[in-house]
Amino acid sequence: MPPALQNPFVLWLVLSAALAAAAWFGIRQELRWRAILYGAFLIACGVAIWPPYDRGEEPGKIHLGLDLRGGIYMVLQVKTDDALNVTVDDAVAAAREQATAKGINFASARRVNSTSFVVEGVEPARVKDMEDLLHDFARGWEVTREGENKFVVAMPANMAKDLRQKTVEQAKRTLEQRVNQLGVAEPVIALAGNHDDKIQVQLPGVKDVNQARRVLQQTAQLMLKMVEGEPATSQEELLQRTGGRLPETMEIVQGQGDTPGQGVYYLVRREAIITGRDLKTTRVGVNNNTNEPAVSFTLTPPGAERFRRETGRSVGKRLAIILDKRVTSAPVIHEQISGEGQISGNFTTATADELAKVLRAGALPATLDILQELSVGASLGRDSVRAGVVASAAAMAFITIFMLVYYRFSGVNAVVALAANLLILLGAMAYGGATLTLPGIAGVILTVGVGVDTNVLVFERIREELRAGKTVKAAVNNGFERVWITILDTHATALIAAAFLYAFGTGPIRGFAVTLVMGLIANVFASYFVSKFLFEWVLGGGGSNTPPAQFSI
Amino acid sequence: MLEILKNPQFDFLSKARYFIGASIVIILAGLAFMLSQHIYLGSNAKGYGVEFSGGTQLIVKFTSQPQVDRVRTAVNAVDSNAVIQIFGKPTDNSVLIRLAGTDAGAAPAPAASPAPAGEAGDTSQLNQGAMAVRQALDARYSENRVAEVSAEVVGPVVGAELRRKAIMLTLFGLVFQLIYIGIRFKGAIWGAAATIAVFHDVLVTLAFLAFFHYEITLNVIAALLTLVGYSVNDTIVIFDRARENLRLKRKEPLRQILNESLNQTLTRTLISNGVTFLSVLGLFLFGGEVLRGFGFTMVVGIIVGTYSTIYIASPIVIWWQERHPSPTGTRAASSTAKAAL
Repeated sequence: MPPALQNPFVLWLVLSAALAAAAWFGIRQELRWRAILYGAFLIACGVAIWPPYDRGEEPGKIHLGLDLRGGIYMVLQVKTDDALNVTVDDAVAAAREQATAKGINFASARRVNSTSFVVEGVEPARVKDMEDLLHDFARGWEVTREGENKFVVAMPANMAKDLRQKTVEQAKRTLEQRVNQLGVAEPVIALAGNHDDKIQVQLPGVKDVNQARRVLQQTAQLMLKMVEGEPATSQEELLQRTGGRLPETMEIVQGQGDTPGQGVYYLVRREAIITGRDLKTTRVGVNNNTNEPAVSFTLTPPGAERFRRETGRSVGKRLAIILDKRVTSAPVIHEQISGEGQISGNFTTATADELAKVLRAGALPATLDILQELSVGASLGRDSVRAGVVASAAAMAFITIFMLVYYRFSGVNAVVALAANLLILLGAMAYGGATLTLPGIAGVILTVGVGVDTNVLVFERIREELRAGKTVKAAVNNGFERVWITILDTHATALIAAAFLYAFGTGPIRGFAVTLVMGLIANVFASYFVSKFLFEWVLGGGGSNTPPAQFSI
Repeated sequence: MLEILKNPQFDFLSKARYFIGASIVIILAGLAFMLSQHIYLGSNAKGYGVEFSGGTQLIVKFTSQPQVDRVRTAVNAVDSNAVIQIFGKPTDNSVLIRLAGTDAGAAPAPAASPAPAGEAGDTSQLNQGAMAVRQALDARYSENRVAEVSAEVVGPVVGAELRRKAIMLTLFGLVFQLIYIGIRFKGAIWGAAATIAVFHDVLVTLAFLAFFHYEITLNVIAALLTLVGYSVNDTIVIFDRARENLRLKRKEPLRQILNESLNQTLTRTLISNGVTFLSVLGLFLFGGEVLRGFGFTMVVGIIVGTYSTIYIASPIVIWWQERHPSPTGTRAASSTAKAAL
């Protein structure tokens, strides 16, 4: 399927252009050529649709939406502040390091909000040096001096905006990779929201909402950090060891699965030896001591080199394996380790497998909040399809009978036109890969209604002309000619309404608008041009004179 | 030929004032009902689907026919204000469970991160209600196992945003249609009349939705916008005919021409709208639970849309033209008709 056609507006334009061309060329040709042109067009549509639904191995050509086939839909908000915080934190750490290296003393350096940090209490003699240092290292950032010895360093607005945008894009890429790991067929992962700060995820056919949620939402930020001393049961205990105040190079991290207030806390170095970016491969393994499932990993060459150096230096100490700001385990380093390691914790084989996949796909640059979540069970979807098909079939059957009874032979014409309309509509949807949703089925039924209206408008007008004493040929010609403007106006206004529905655009409603717009476009061709052709064909094209009494309308 | 009506000659417009009166009564009754019952209107109004109000809606399918009382007892442990009702046919074994908005269970934000401005509540807890209900059902109604759960969970921010968007788009849709008709008929009054008729249709349909306690869901909004298109469509068919007649019979007064046009298109109105009406009636009756609101809105909307063309849109045009008898009014319309044809 040509990718450009996946944009409905392009699909609509292509369809309109194709139908307009067929109508325009057709109307100028002899009946025979028109028959071939229209017939070829309809056959092409039929080929595009076949087979409409899944037949054994062969997937159906009509894509069913989540509401019809079951699956999960989520809208996630990317907390871009997280990524900004990390960037500013890194800047603070770098500033501290450089100042220390140059021997500039200062009271503290800390982040204020997600775009700025302050350096306070700089020793009076070195204020100028500190200012130069900050200007130098935070190139492009706004450094302002407040009072005697305080500096505020802020990220400029455009840099923050860029960073937010990159964060969302990276989150989207990560989600794509994770969804690939899950093996979902035809997933949709797209940016959404007015500022493109939301990500819309559609996972057709996925049943386990909780698993999907875990896989999508887990930050999966892995960090290996050195532990100072032994773990303690409270934060206070650790603080006592460091003299009541936490050194700026240290942090306290809680153990996995422990409730606050009671549990295990670790004093670790802020700087990570290994992060998720250093991972080369991950897979499910078994913890040799406990025989429980675990996640084994290998490291990239630079990571492995760093890992060997650091572990060699710290034999006898503990190494904390921190996943999403919780320590999953902190084994003692018995000897120098090089290229591989293992994450153990409270895993089942399934959760270990999940974590291995998520780690492989990489960490999210920021937390994701679920704004909206929709899950549809497969059997509810099937019931909806059945109900939609029954309602459509009932409508079609009723319309067919009515048109045949009321307009007799001309009713056949109307039914053929309606069938052509549906064929073009579904063919265009299949060709463009558009999705049929439950409201989309309602759109199909309404399309049928519009099609009937066009036919009735024409037929009633022909009857009027006949009553006024026109010949059959003149009545048919006048009838079609006179209603053309009306059909154009009614379809144009309906298209305006449908386009707004599309712009409103939330999953199922878009499906409704997509089918309605294509139905309207197809209808002008089918109920006007195909119908007109059928009349002319039955009446014998040339100059035959059917007496009005024998004309079945 | 088979004909429903032979050469109809009804005098539609002489009785218009009574119908306009009736319409106003229905609209006012509807508004009064909505305001008194807090449906659709006012802050914290009821009657919105979960996608607009925020909250959790579950459709739980059991392995055998569920006893609603047992389900209610189980769910009450999670949320005592939950709404529980049979979903679909009894043989579907399904129950709809609706939990109130998520703000009640909002967990305190983690202290570590400074609270971001403008975001209401901590949305990572959004799905807790759905999970708790599932657990409660498994624990307290274990003999009838849950076969399948469909869930819709909407955060409060999304709901409010969606509601604002829906109103904006309905209004924009109307304005653009008004502009289109105004241009096509070279006279603002034709577009204005069609638009007033459409507003009338939306208000009357909303009144009926309120009377019958339908929730406004995304599907109902789609139906309302479709009915806007339909009603305008119906009005245009008759206005187009009037435009054509104006060109042919310049001497006759507009009132007579419009009445004639209504009669000339009456058969078409009955057949087309009748067929569409029956199609959407089929959708309402057989379209399944999910499309019921959509079907109802369309069923009411088709009737109201047909009625408003005759008794609202046409009288407005006549009323205006009779008070502003500038010759350009009819002339302009007829010259457009020529240009267009």
